[in-house]
Amino acid sequence: MFQLLNTILIGITSGAIYSLMAIALVLVWRSTRVVNFAQAGQALLSTYIGFEVIQRFDSYWIALIVAIVAGAAVGALIDVLFMRFLFSRNTQGPIAGVAPIIATLGLLGLIRGGIGIFLGNTEASIRPPVSNVGFTISGHTLAFSPLKFLIVGAVIFLMLALSLIFQRTNIGLALRASAYAPEIARLAGVRVDGIRTLGWALAGAAGAAAGMLQTPNGDGGLSPDSLDFSLLLVFGFIAAVIGGLESLIGAVVGGLLLGLVLAFVLTYVSGSLVFIIAFMVLILVLLLRPSGLIGAKRGRRA
Amino acid sequence: MHRFQHSNFSRLLFFVLLGGLLFLAGNRVDELRVYQGATLAMYVVAISSLILLTGYSGQVSLGHGALMAIGGYSAALTRNYLSLPIWLCFVIAILTAAIAGAVLGTAAARLSGPYLAGTTLALAVGLPSIANQFGFLGGEQGLLFDVGMPPASFGSDFSPYKWYFWIAASSALIAIWWLQNILRSRFGRIWRAVRDNEVAAQLAGIHVGKAKTLAFTVSSGLAGLAGALLAMTIATVSPSAFPLTLSFALLTGAVLSGVTTLPGVMIGAVTLVATPEIADSISRRFASSENVTMNLPGLLVSTLLVLVVLLVPNGPVEQWRSVRARKSAHAAH
Repeated sequence: MFQLLNTILIGITSGAIYSLMAIALVLVWRSTRVVNFAQAGQALLSTYIGFEVIQRFDSYWIALIVAIVAGAAVGALIDVLFMRFLFSRNTQGPIAGVAPIIATLGLLGLIRGGIGIFLGNTEASIRPPVSNVGFTISGHTLAFSPLKFLIVGAVIFLMLALSLIFQRTNIGLALRASAYAPEIARLAGVRVDGIRTLGWALAGAAGAAAGMLQTPNGDGGLSPDSLDFSLLLVFGFIAAVIGGLESLIGAVVGGLLLGLVLAFVLTYVSGSLVFIIAFMVLILVLLLRPSGLIGAKRGRRA
Repeated sequence: MHRFQHSNFSRLLFFVLLGGLLFLAGNRVDELRVYQGATLAMYVVAISSLILLTGYSGQVSLGHGALMAIGGYSAALTRNYLSLPIWLCFVIAILTAAIAGAVLGTAAARLSGPYLAGTTLALAVGLPSIANQFGFLGGEQGLLFDVGMPPASFGSDFSPYKWYFWIAASSALIAIWWLQNILRSRFGRIWRAVRDNEVAAQLAGIHVGKAKTLAFTVSSGLAGLAGALLAMTIATVSPSAFPLTLSFALLTGAVLSGVTTLPGVMIGAVTLVATPEIADSISRRFASSENVTMNLPGLLVSTLLVLVVLLVPNGPVEQWRSVRARKSAHAAH
């Protein structure tokens, strides 16, 4: 009974982090029609910036905020420096369709290699800002600690902030408009390019938050070729696909679902099968519900 | 029809001659170069499998490293547990990878660009973890893969590296020759039609899904061969032999080669073989730290990838060709 409860709690915590990454991928996909594989690199870079801040100021909270801001800046920069250039040049030819994908992969390698050269492959580490010892109830230890509480809280806060931006502000309206119908939005006076960059910035911020939360939630280790960030990317992608790749709510639901499934596999089956199960979930969703479990209706797809 | 057969035959002759030349060249250079020659041949096979997929059927795979791992592991398993002759191990490597590719391709045929890219990426990240799940796969250490000594009739000064080179180069030649033939056949035309315009191809009576699945299967088989060749040159198979960076490197090679030009495959393969050496000489010249030595090759490959996609998306060869065509058209006016 307690094991079941703990499994669910672990699933929710890791699922919340996958959701953040999925949101980052969805934001970029909606604004640019690119699945941004560099997102893992951006998250890694932002987390390293956060790590440096912790070294200087010894505060996780300042570091979290700085990392999120830096993540937004990096995202915006990538759009302005690379993506605009890429789209302005690359409109025809046999690989025009896949060129953006390849470019973001190249960026991922570039960021990883760059961090490796300047900061080294030796593991940096981020200690949890609050205790990661589980709460105890009547002698049983719950798999839910102040840290996990913080993670879930931070994810909920960021999601509320994002959905407020999207639903209640003019900028959010412009973001939605340019995603659904860029041409019409442009005619209506929306500066689509700028809005697109904003989408990349928001995605960068979400990715940075995912990185800063995932690192202390795992073993705290941080290295340029850490598997954690590759997995974050892959699980984020799977979560986004479960949610239909278009919708923010879908990304959250997808992340939580995937987190729960993987937590159950981890507890009741085997740790080294986690990955394969995730892959099978992806294939199943793609074969059975290619537009996602709660995918938007076809008519609304931009 | 007659001309077609003739050109077919002359191409075969060309490849046989090329093989003879390579064999002679293998006797002239030192061991390191021979070893690099074997690696080069491995990359030629791997990159051409990706070129077939991306350039000729318009799909993208970020997970060919995983398919190479499937090929490498099946070759090593059949060699170690069944002690089959080496050529049979290679055939089994090709078949196993092709079967895996067919399964993946059936799903892939229904996926468009970003979905397929993500799925194959997921495979490349996750497949190595299987090695830890099943004991007979050898865990992190992996398995030994020994292709055996060269036949005694080749003489006593015929080194193992030369034997590797010999196997790899002949496999590469056969693979490329076969691939060229298939690209000139009905299937090649079907794949190009699908790549250029799916709807039009469908209207012309082509079963798009089947065509894509077939392309993925053939490409995977070639990747399996490349995986077995890689396993041969490093004499082991282990999860760390097929990292994510391998898949990225192959993609870089394919893009550099100009994804639509099979003969360009040499450019990509040479670049991939030369990169570690260039990186090494750079970091030695500047007497730099271990960080630089470790990360420079990957950084160079990624930089090349980004630069090529941004500046000459269709590959340097194609770019040069189209510039020249434009110039000569200009001159004609």
